[in-house]
Amino acid sequence: MSKAGAYGSTGGGDTDFRKTWDREEMAVKAKEREAKEREEAKERYEAKAAGKTYRRRASTPEDLRQTEARSERIDWSKMVGKQTLTSAAAAVGKRGKGAGAYCAACDLTFKDNIQYIEHLNSKQHLVATGQSGEVKRATLEEVRERLRYLKRKADEAKRDEVVDVDARLALGREKMEAEAEERRRKRNEKRRAKKKGDDNAMQWTGVGANGVIA
Amino acid sequence: MSKPTYDRADASALLDDRGYSGALIRGQNPALLFEKGVRERITESYYWKEQCFGLNAATLCDRAVELKFIGGTSGITGRPTPFLCLAFKMLQLVPEKGIVLEMLNFRGDEDEDGEDAGEADGKIETNREGDDQKNGSANGDADAKKRDLNAEGKLGTFKYLRCLAAFYIRLAWEPVAIYNTLEPLLTDYRKIKRRLKENFSLTYVDQFIDDLLTKDRICATSLWKLPPRSQLEDLDLLEPRESPLGDEIDMLDEEDERERAAARQGSESESESQQKL
Repeated sequence: MSKAGAYGSTGGGDTDFRKTWDREEMAVKAKEREAKEREEAKERYEAKAAGKTYRRRASTPEDLRQTEARSERIDWSKMVGKQTLTSAAAAVGKRGKGAGAYCAACDLTFKDNIQYIEHLNSKQHLVATGQSGEVKRATLEEVRERLRYLKRKADEAKRDEVVDVDARLALGREKMEAEAEERRRKRNEKRRAKKKGDDNAMQWTGVGANGVIA
Repeated sequence: MSKPTYDRADASALLDDRGYSGALIRGQNPALLFEKGVRERITESYYWKEQCFGLNAATLCDRAVELKFIGGTSGITGRPTPFLCLAFKMLQLVPEKGIVLEMLNFRGDEDEDGEDAGEADGKIETNREGDDQKNGSANGDADAKKRDLNAEGKLGTFKYLRCLAAFYIRLAWEPVAIYNTLEPLLTDYRKIKRRLKENFSLTYVDQFIDDLLTKDRICATSLWKLPPRSQLEDLDLLEPRESPLGDEIDMLDEEDERERAAARQGSESESESQQKL
């Protein structure tokens, strides 16, 4: 590289503070920029030819994902019989956590399911959750695969289905007993917590992400 | 211009008053194939908002196989059925021909014959069957009777998905294609449930297809005027249809004629005898 200086140091010694440029990297950068400019000029030209004003497209966020169909129905019955912690201020308006369906991404509360679902489909929510609001178009192959999968699922469900009445009744009874057992367990837990004297402590532990006390 | 590889998740672009720039059906916005009132009720319905948001042709199949009945609107308020909502979604997506045909003629048990072979003959089978119906009577009984997959219920495993695809085809395709694709379905005799204004009624796939081809209003939709079959036959766009009953129809006709002739003769002889008296 450079010769040794008079005092044995490399370089000028007094020029170490200067920025050293990586020529190759900068060349790549310049090429990229030129390509981008050329592309923009082309788009500008095309827009002009079509009689439109050119507007540069806003940059797309890196983590933007395409909107997908809901994979399951929204279950409203799970909110029945639940207690919710709300602040007194949240009683008015949608802002903040309140009683009703709460959207954590947008920090809004909705009083009924129609409002809530409309919000989930709205631009505001899509932007807040990083979705594009666009759905990928399916190809024939994808549709075929999907139908095969659905057929297989239907077949499996059919195989597991019990036709015998007695067996069905027994299955139903088992299910009901399991549910009753679960309820009993919860009740006992509650009672034990109350016996300890700190009845608030029990309530506060089970607060979920959306303010619902389990 | 290349086709975009994405669709809007909701119908906002489809229903935009300022202009629509998507795929057209017979030169107009596909949404206009539904009546305005029905369109509004669909986009206001909970099923549309929850279940039809962000669907593409593949995920639409998920919803369609869960259908339990067909129908238009029900109740005093004219609530649209899920069937109608999904049909509207299809009008928004305007899936390509192959996809619609796959929905219509999906054959579930083709894996039994072997994966590769099954895939290939799915289409061949349908073609052959079309031919079969055309020259069925020409070959007569001498030819071993070819299998009619529609009558066996082998094609279109999910019958409501099949009805949905057929409904879409009737709305969106060209007359000749409609007759050619839907007529083979007239031998599909499976039962389907149909939602009426107040109640349900039982009908059959072939009945539904026949309604699609002959009636001008079904499922809360006034269907666009399809040129009658005879007209297309005169223009040599369609071959005359051979009934799956084949020769039986002729035989029935002959029988009728004979009976009528016999009745005429009988009445004549009676009148003669009366004159004699």
